[in-house]
Amino acid sequence: MARKRGRGVAACWYGIARTATVDRAGAWAEIDDGGTAKIVTGVTEIGEGILTVLAQIAAHEIGVRPQDVTIGDNDTARSPEAAHAGATRQTYMIGNAVALASRQARAALVEVLARYWNVDSRTIKTAAGEVWAEGTNHKMPMSEAVHIAKSRGVVPVGSASFGTDTTGLDPVDGSGRPWQAYVFGCQVAEVEVDTLTGEVQVLGIWAVHDVGRAVNPRGVEGQIEGGIVQALGQGLMEDYRTVNGHAATPNLAKYILPTSLDVPHVTSVILEDPDPIGPLGVKGIGEPAMIPTIPAIMNAIYDAIGVRMTSLPATPEKVLEAMGRRARAARQPVAAE
Amino acid sequence: MPELRIEATVNGRKVARAAKPHLRLLDFLRDDLGYTGAKEGCGAGECGTCSVFVDGVLLKSCLVPVAKAQGTTIETVEGLGHAGGLTVLQQAFHKAGASQCGYCIPGMVMAATAALRANPLASREEIKERLGGNICRCTGYQKIFDAVELARDVRNGRRPASALAEEDPVDGAFIGASVRRLDAPSKVSGALKYAGDMVMPHMLHLAVLRSPHAHARIVSIDTSEAEAVSGVEGVITAVDVPGIDGFGVFVHDQPIMARGKVRYVGEQVAAVASEDPLVARRALARIKVVYETLPAVFDAHEAMRPGAPVLHDYAPDNIVKHIPIRVGDVEKGFAESDLIVEEIYSTQQVEHAYLEPEAGLAYVDHDGVVTIVSPSQNITHHRHMLSRIIAQPISKVRFIMSPVGGGFGGKEDMVYQGMLALMAMKTRRPVRLVFTREESIITTAKRHPSHTTYKMGLMRDGRIRAAAIKLVSDGGAYGMSTEGVMRKAAILAAGPYSIPNVKIDTYGVYTNNTPSGAFRSFGALQSQFATETHLDICAEKLGLDPFAIRRINAMRDGAVTHTKQTLKSVSMLRALDATEQVSRWETGAPTSRGDVRRDLAGEGTRPPCTLGTRFANSAGKDSESEVA
Ligand code: FES
Ligand code: FES
Repeated sequence: MARKRGRGVAACWYGIARTATVDRAGAWAEIDDGGTAKIVTGVTEIGEGILTVLAQIAAHEIGVRPQDVTIGDNDTARSPEAAHAGATRQTYMIGNAVALASRQARAALVEVLARYWNVDSRTIKTAAGEVWAEGTNHKMPMSEAVHIAKSRGVVPVGSASFGTDTTGLDPVDGSGRPWQAYVFGCQVAEVEVDTLTGEVQVLGIWAVHDVGRAVNPRGVEGQIEGGIVQALGQGLMEDYRTVNGHAATPNLAKYILPTSLDVPHVTSVILEDPDPIGPLGVKGIGEPAMIPTIPAIMNAIYDAIGVRMTSLPATPEKVLEAMGRRARAARQPVAAE
Repeated sequence: MPELRIEATVNGRKVARAAKPHLRLLDFLRDDLGYTGAKEGCGAGECGTCSVFVDGVLLKSCLVPVAKAQGTTIETVEGLGHAGGLTVLQQAFHKAGASQCGYCIPGMVMAATAALRANPLASREEIKERLGGNICRCTGYQKIFDAVELARDVRNGRRPASALAEEDPVDGAFIGASVRRLDAPSKVSGALKYAGDMVMPHMLHLAVLRSPHAHARIVSIDTSEAEAVSGVEGVITAVDVPGIDGFGVFVHDQPIMARGKVRYVGEQVAAVASEDPLVARRALARIKVVYETLPAVFDAHEAMRPGAPVLHDYAPDNIVKHIPIRVGDVEKGFAESDLIVEEIYSTQQVEHAYLEPEAGLAYVDHDGVVTIVSPSQNITHHRHMLSRIIAQPISKVRFIMSPVGGGFGGKEDMVYQGMLALMAMKTRRPVRLVFTREESIITTAKRHPSHTTYKMGLMRDGRIRAAAIKLVSDGGAYGMSTEGVMRKAAILAAGPYSIPNVKIDTYGVYTNNTPSGAFRSFGALQSQFATETHLDICAEKLGLDPFAIRRINAMRDGAVTHTKQTLKSVSMLRALDATEQVSRWETGAPTSRGDVRRDLAGEGTRPPCTLGTRFANSAGKDSESEVA
């Protein structure tokens, strides 16, 4: 049989936000005219969907709808500092900062309305663009509530900084508290190896990742699927090479990337083990998603054809070479006898 | 060369324009007509971001000379929907979450439109084949396939149009709802402007002269001839830096342009600005740089040996960073173990290959604020560094983050923003720089390659007694994120397992190779690749199922990490259980049992492919359905 199948498993862990240093992020929130909300923070979309996540968080906390939320541009001269877009920190750091700022803006509005209606502020509810006081007939659209607040001299705004309680590492034994939130995950890969050409196809990946709390489950899946395919690229084909410092793979004809024909079916399972520290319970997914994929594939290759791929990428040439080595090794003891 | 006169119908409008004959259709559409939905991901026919219809045929416009546009009818992504609306397919991309950074998406929408035009009933496998010429670096393609299938089904009535609409959240809770991405309409329609799509009046284009040597002393740079070229508005080198030169994520060891010496091939040495990008590029050849080549080192282990060429004076041992982690006594742990397993693992340098090459636009505003618009992943830090480099207070430096067409860590380094700022300051005009794909690949950071020696001691029952892990990594010519990558690699190296004796050392090393930097999963991918492969080897030797060996050692609630931090809640066991269950895993030791296991080829796998066969099959089906 020229084509052989196998399965492998691998797990991972990862720390959320900046490593071994105090991380912090700022955000401003305003409940604006027309019952909309304005969120300003110094970080923005790099493709992962953070704008939508922040709009959902602000909408949820303030009581409007995500499409009513405007996220300001990320501009060092116009927005509060929120550090960088990386380190699987956006949902955790900025998301929590936006939640705190939104809660403050909402509290400012609620306080005005409590006086206006002469009710206990704890009875006031907000959702999807409406404000009401429970147990009364008081109810109005958010747009009217904002108008009332402003005419009484209150702009319903909030600002917050979310920071981590973390430390550097000891220079001798490495002890320290590099992150306050950790995530865990595990993946199984199923591959088919063509023993004549050495080509490996990944047919399925089952991926389970703890994200704390999923703000947008479809977005989380998108991160898992995208991470897996990037890892597949590194595992099987991508190889930036230099010869005496000169790039030997300077373009996309020579530097091979996964295409639509290379990708497995991905089954994602989202686990939620809420972060006990942050206000939302969220953690993150961007980076951990790709960690188990490569070892799971390599372990699956071993399952299929009995060779250990310990040097990446497992290109067809390297797989054939490893198979050849294994075949020779299997013959040798016999020859010696 | 005389200009061509192009008359064509573009997105339903007649256009008649003079065009320079050396242009490609892509340039004509983007620069002359303003249809920036077509993107230049590679300029060489490899990525599909520039896809448009010419007389109904899907073409890569970066490969089409503008002369070929004469008399044709052209559709770009901007022309697909009517009156600014979205087509069913574009709505399906929105609904399915098929766009992430969005840079590939206009081309992907064009290719998917072509696929459904060619076969309105295309199967998922045929859709994959028809999208094979379009690369997406973000999504993993699955949601793109979902979107095309959704559009297909809505268009032929198998699913209702309401399947494209937003779903109401359960109990009005927006956290936990798969709300459609708010930025998706701008991405599927081609409306979103990335930095390379932006223009300003009076704008100049920047071109960069790069080092041909891996390691050389710069004896002299003479820019006078280049400056004299008609159309050249400015030339800059390291001498134009007014403040303290040097940037980097951890150590500020990299000058805006090479200062005194070059340390890798492709390093920026000088830059030229002109209104005409071609003039700027050609003027580069007129800059005279005299180099004296130096011995170079291309291997991390060699670079650590005494006597190796030194890249940076501050680091005579070429070590950027060494991170040690120590728990217990590994030698004692190995002595107590029933089984010792040793192995060596290596990983390669990897390119981020975001579809959007680096691009930026800089200007000095009316208040004298130096402003840089770019897809930077860290404008906060860039602002701080640039203020020192150009000797201006922070309030006079402004960074605006443009939409990022994929970053993955590769856009954390301030590699080109400094040049843009200097040229804007020197010329007092807006300046734009767009990297070619080659520039992006050969000059920007890569994922750190790694070489890991691994030794693990275990008890017969599968408990790990000790692990010694040494990872050496080539950081290339500049520090960039190497320090942080080594730290994360070390902290997470031994995996989510409780191990009483641990010795971990990671080393990031300078060499004259392309720099290594931040890349999604940041060192942890490299070190955990070793650990997770190693555990499989150990499981086989002990006759243990791979889930079982992980369960035996998994950290649990209250576990203490290798950096001696106590974790309150650890979801590791839950993750293992859920994976075993969802994958329908057949228990057994990893003894290369693929031939006999019975959990293969079930739900959650795709059919294996032999290139071309699905196409042939579905082509057959096409003609059948045409007959019917
Ligand atoms: S295929 Fe034309 S830009 Fe890549
Ligand atoms: S969404 Fe496809 S390249 Fe980013």
